[in-house]
Amino acid sequence: MNGSVIGRGTVVRGNVRGSGSLEILGRVEGDVSVNGELVIGEDGAVRGSVSGSHITCSGAVQGDVRGSEAVLLERGARVVGDLTAPRIGVATGALVKGLVRTDGEPALGAARRPATGGARPIAFPARAAAPAPKAEPREESREESGDSEPPEPKAAREAPPPPVVPALAKGAKAKKKRKED
Amino acid sequence: MAGTVIGEGLSIEGDLSSEEEVVVQGNLRGKLTTTDAVSVGSSAVIEADVSAQSLTIAGQVTGDVTAAERVDLQAGGRLIGDVKASRLTIADGASFKGNVDMDV
Repeated sequence: MNGSVIGRGTVVRGNVRGSGSLEILGRVEGDVSVNGELVIGEDGAVRGSVSGSHITCSGAVQGDVRGSEAVLLERGARVVGDLTAPRIGVATGALVKGLVRTDGEPALGAARRPATGGARPIAFPARAAAPAPKAEPREESREESGDSEPPEPKAAREAPPPPVVPALAKGAKAKKKRKED
Repeated sequence: MAGTVIGEGLSIEGDLSSEEEVVVQGNLRGKLTTTDAVSVGSSAVIEADVSAQSLTIAGQVTGDVTAAERVDLQAGGRLIGDVKASRLTIADGASFKGNVDMDV
């Protein structure tokens, strides 16, 4: 058996790290990091950051919680800190104060594809791809107009950069204004 | 079942204090205090002063050991540190270096 338990009557002041699963029923004042499943029981309490693959919390955590697979907050859980995992579940009766973010590359495709129907998976990449070309070329053309167009660079570097505002003859603006008046 | 189990592969750096039985199979560095029994498994490596009701050692312990009742150093066990206990057994095949104080 490779499961560890920090029992109800046990207090750890320091960091807990390692492989395998861990169940915290007592108190830990320090960071907890395991690469297996992590369960924080009803009376369990951690003051420090917590990380594991699959974290189920029914107790108290004062610190960030990061799951490489999932973080599930059960009824009675009290978390003051940020939650980060590809999958996050918060049950009714669980308290959270902090930033909650579902992220992590590997599970992004796996988690969303079965959840959404046929049309939406296409919409996700399309939406993600669309803003990028719109925003970037405009930035590039302003900042590095010489580099983006291959035939020009040498000439562009010698000559002053093309004016952003159309060049008007001296007094042209004033004339125009007078005409309008 | 034991109240607290530090499994193989898990390591704790710091103080562990408990009111229940503690079984260590992994690593512990710091201090271990319990009012109940401590069992140090064969895969355990402890670098800590240990204080318990009773103590069974089958793994490695480096540090002073205090038991209210007894200390059993089993075959294959390795203890480097002083022992303070009213009863002490050292099995054939165990390694031990340290002083013994049996409250005489």
